[in-house]
Amino acid sequence: MTCSDVERALPEMLDGTPDGSLAAEFETHVKSCPDCSDLVSDLKLIASEARQLAASEEPAPRVWVRIAAELRAEGLIHDREHDRDSEPASAPGRPILVPTSPRRRWSAWWLAPVAAGLVAAGSYVISHKPASAVAKQQAPATPGTSPSTSPASGSPTWVAETPAVTSGGTSGENAAAVRAPAPERLAQKSAPPKGVSGSSAEPAPSPEDQQFLSVVSTRAPSMRATYENQLQAVNADILETQAYVNRNPGDVDARQHLMDAYQQKALLYQIALDRIQ
Amino acid sequence: MTDPKPGITEAEAIEQAKQGHEAAFEVLYHLHKRRVYSLCLRMVSNPAQAEDLAQEAFLQLFRKIGTFRGESAFSTWLHRMTVNVVLMQLRKKGLPVVSLEETLEADDEAPRKEFGTKDVKLTGSIDRLQLQRAIDRLPPGYRTVFVLHDVEGFEHNEIAEIVGCSIGNSKSQLHKARLKLRDFLKFMRAEKAKTG
Repeated sequence: MTCSDVERALPEMLDGTPDGSLAAEFETHVKSCPDCSDLVSDLKLIASEARQLAASEEPAPRVWVRIAAELRAEGLIHDREHDRDSEPASAPGRPILVPTSPRRRWSAWWLAPVAAGLVAAGSYVISHKPASAVAKQQAPATPGTSPSTSPASGSPTWVAETPAVTSGGTSGENAAAVRAPAPERLAQKSAPPKGVSGSSAEPAPSPEDQQFLSVVSTRAPSMRATYENQLQAVNADILETQAYVNRNPGDVDARQHLMDAYQQKALLYQIALDRIQ
Repeated sequence: MTDPKPGITEAEAIEQAKQGHEAAFEVLYHLHKRRVYSLCLRMVSNPAQAEDLAQEAFLQLFRKIGTFRGESAFSTWLHRMTVNVVLMQLRKKGLPVVSLEETLEADDEAPRKEFGTKDVKLTGSIDRLQLQRAIDRLPPGYRTVFVLHDVEGFEHNEIAEIVGCSIGNSKSQLHKARLKLRDFLKFMRAEKAKTG
């Protein structure tokens, strides 16, 4: 066997099922030829070292959030109202929580530019007392600050819109309990979809939502209905989850879900505005 | 239909995703996100771009999930989409993306360039960063097969299905990719030795 024969046989020898006699000739030549020996060992080394690069990283959580928002915007995901009708709730009045990665921490740093965009587009978040802390599972917050204060100017008002509940003086609660807006005030901000139980009346869409839909109507009239439906669905989710959080201030999952819902709304704005520009 | 519970099989998640259940989409995403993202990252070497590509690959998959009939493995279908998304992106960047068949025809008998590194040995371990840099220099066709096989661990029959070539072509491309990587790595070592 010559060196050229060895090189031709390499793919099969390294990755295939070589013929017995071919393998014997191959080994004999490689043992006696320093160049071919170096070549074989180098290629084996490259193949084995390449495994170091295998799937060791994960994409950031924002990738799934974007995917989900886009799927919702395209109508490929049923809205929560439809899902609720088709399955029993695990507990009366408990909102259906989106199964997310376990212990997914809410990190708002990437939301900062989105939040700034919302403010510019007629921000959904109104001025409010900043939350002293939002949830136990978020980044540690010192009293009087919110985890999202540092990244962007719009964040404090954003966090302030995501209250838990007035603790009602429960001493066992986290000392950094968040103050909630009055439920009727929050209801004014979000328009629930038709038929949402528990709502005594349909509040009008918030000024920010109206402005957003107005922009969509002007620039992309054919998309208004889609975004209006998506907005109604996410607003309903926010309302219901907020109400649940108000009743169950210690429910960390529910607060995370509320955060997720706000993030989804922010993404809905972002995606829509990106599309129609 | 009830929402998928944790621990459902991939097949169940696919069927429920066809019904539009968000939780089912999420299950499928989390099952495959690492490999898809890793493939994108190894192909473009840019985490932000890799995220965008992974996102686009999953979106394309989910948009078409209603058409999945199980003729091939779901992961094969997903990775085929991922490769197509990545190669499309590389084409947009103006990089010469040659099909695997064209690569084989054009390069089959071309002599390998020697970089004057005959005496440089690749003994011991290979620095991970150097290896990634060397991979970045591979033509996209070689890079795809190398990443799928040696990095991500796909077999040649799977790669053939993912990229649309024969098993023989896949083996040949891989071999050529490894030879080129060897040349690049030896060159880098030689350069490093010169600069001290």
